Amino acid sequence: MNFTLNGVEVTGGKQEAIAPGGFPSRSNFLRRMWEGVSIVFASKTAVIGLAIVLFWVSVAVFAPFLTPYTPLEQDWKAPNQGPSSTHILGTDELGRDLWSRLIYGARVVLVIMPISESLWVPGGTALWGVFTALLIGMTLGLVSGYYGGWLDEIVMRLLDAIMAVPIILLYLIIMAALGASAMNVVIAITIVGTPGIARLVRSLTLDIRTREYIKAAETRGESPWYAMFVEILPNARGPIIVDAMLRVGYAIFAMGTLGFLGLGLPPPSPDWGSMVAKGREFILAGSPWAALWPSVAIASLVVGLNLLADGLREESMRYQ
Amino acid sequence: MVKFIVRRFLLLLLTMVLVSVAVFLITESSPGNVARNVLGSFVTPEQEASFLAQMGLDKPVYTRYLYWLLGSDWHASRKVGLSLKRIKTREGFEEWWALREDGALIRWKLQGEDLIAVVRLFEDTISEYFNNERWQPDEHGVSSFWGVDTKNHVVKWEKDSDLKVWTFVMGTGWMETTGGPIEYIPLKKGFIRGDPGLSLRTGRPVAKSLFIRLRNSLVLAGIAFIIVMPLALFLGMIAGLKEGTLRDRVLSVGGMMFSVTPEFATGIFLILIVAVWLGLVPGATVFGEKAPWERPDMLILPVLTLTLIELGYVLRITRASMVEVMRSPYIRTAFLKGLPYWRIVLKHAVPNALIAPITVIMLHVNWLMGGIVIVEVVFGYPGLGKYLLDSALHKDINALEAGAMVLVTVAVGTQLIADIIYTFLNPRIRYT
Repeated sequence: MNFTLNGVEVTGGKQEAIAPGGFPSRSNFLRRMWEGVSIVFASKTAVIGLAIVLFWVSVAVFAPFLTPYTPLEQDWKAPNQGPSSTHILGTDELGRDLWSRLIYGARVVLVIMPISESLWVPGGTALWGVFTALLIGMTLGLVSGYYGGWLDEIVMRLLDAIMAVPIILLYLIIMAALGASAMNVVIAITIVGTPGIARLVRSLTLDIRTREYIKAAETRGESPWYAMFVEILPNARGPIIVDAMLRVGYAIFAMGTLGFLGLGLPPPSPDWGSMVAKGREFILAGSPWAALWPSVAIASLVVGLNLLADGLREESMRYQ
Repeated sequence: MVKFIVRRFLLLLLTMVLVSVAVFLITESSPGNVARNVLGSFVTPEQEASFLAQMGLDKPVYTRYLYWLLGSDWHASRKVGLSLKRIKTREGFEEWWALREDGALIRWKLQGEDLIAVVRLFEDTISEYFNNERWQPDEHGVSSFWGVDTKNHVVKWEKDSDLKVWTFVMGTGWMETTGGPIEYIPLKKGFIRGDPGLSLRTGRPVAKSLFIRLRNSLVLAGIAFIIVMPLALFLGMIAGLKEGTLRDRVLSVGGMMFSVTPEFATGIFLILIVAVWLGLVPGATVFGEKAPWERPDMLILPVLTLTLIELGYVLRITRASMVEVMRSPYIRTAFLKGLPYWRIVLKHAVPNALIAPITVIMLHVNWLMGGIVIVEVVFGYPGLGKYLLDSALHKDINALEAGAMVLVTVAVGTQLIADIIYTFLNPRIRYT
């Protein structure tokens, strides 16, 4: 989170004081962090957004300590119940505790990515999707912006073709082909996100490429890769970081949508989208809770992220 | 301009080709097949193989792609040695027949060892006769014959073949027959000639169901569009008139909240509030054979969901554009000239502020389609999106390809329209 705030603060373009080693000195770094935090608190919308996001991040991190049930534990005697003292938010159609499914669902989105039944890696599924899309998109954008010519033409036309395909169709085909798993959700988010990032990075690269310090690096005899990743990329980070923040929101949105269509995480795992899809069948039968809570969860998280990003953007624009 | 349109059109064709090839390859390379998805997991391997052969799915992927794109009748007709013709019966079914040397419509069926020709003279007059002289012996002494069967395939029969055939009849179950053909080519005209084939899932022509589904989706999207556009443009302009006022904050934050909330969540909230709690309208859509407009009460919630999502987006774009215009020097000049406030807003600001939203809205159609798919699933609305989802889940390749092509055409087509509108709205481009 600090890293992101720091990055947005940098977008303001106020501080370019960088120590000779290429890293910001320590006190400088702390000051910039403080400035980043103060930007958040200067905007009411950003504070509200931050509070919502922090709420979900903390329940996701501490999920195992916040509930006596596991998300898979079934209570056959109490299916489809409303909120009560034993189950704070009620139970779903198999008697699983909704609160624990909800917070373990947040965990899958924000904190861990399950690879197989017993194996998981840190970093939420949505975050991994954005990260890999950034990695590939940045590389493609840098390379085609820096080299130009036929390489640029080919890469950009291919990305144009991908962008022309309706996003929902891409998701459907990718997920129907790959099957439902967290890894495949990451792949789908990556394929859909890459073209946009590549375009952004390319346009930034086209601009920065003409600067003198790039000429200087080239004259020094640095390799193209050095020029791209050490000279151009750090100078383009501001817009990229803001874009990435919004993309986290899209990725959570996409994860929910995929889950809802039955293309997200495979069934027993707690996934907000698929919880809604299952719960939907019982709404008209008189038990709305299983569909209501995950809808509230995903809506609040995405709205929180956007409030935060909006507030930050407005405040940093005011500084400019 | 013409050059530009041609360029866009070529992009559309390129995208369609790329997407159709990609869909074929991806569906091909993924595990599972349509037989298991349609017939359930209790089919025997023989039944599965028989089903796949009758659907023409045992052929290599490039053959199937060519058949899908260009049709299979030209290839099949060379095998039969007669030209083939598709007719429409009085009941509305499509049937394929071969044209006999004298011009009569003819098909064949196998009864025991005997080849029987079925000749259709008029609408209701069908005569049958033994046609064993058509057997062609090959060098191994096996007699075979390529002909049109009664289920719209071109098939290769072999004499004394004891190959078992399982046909799955909806509602009845499996029918087992022996002496079946050893090779099938399902007849179709191909996508380019307007026939995307039969749905592997339902056995009905894709074009027919797709048309109805597309119509339903267009009804939904059209109504939402008609409601959203004036409302969002109006609210966006109101919000953008004075930046930073309470009215602006409420409208733009509210719009953002509605536009970023996933459609399924908005849909669930609306069902709970309007249908369950207030009990005003039904919370699901069940049309049966009826057209959507015959049950307008069932349309209310899906339209409302779509409206809320799109409203926020368009509102924010319009607001941003309006804010920018209101800040520009020529508006300040107009104020300084002492023109009346509403005259400046309506005559000077609004026309310029509308350019951006209208083009962006067109580009947004790509997103809107995603929204429609979700809304259709939430409310069980029988539209194109739900058809596409079911086809993708069942790997019903013919239906999936056709649906995908429709979506791509709509997406790229609206981009083209957006560009054209843009040049007309913005004289700076038109006159250069």
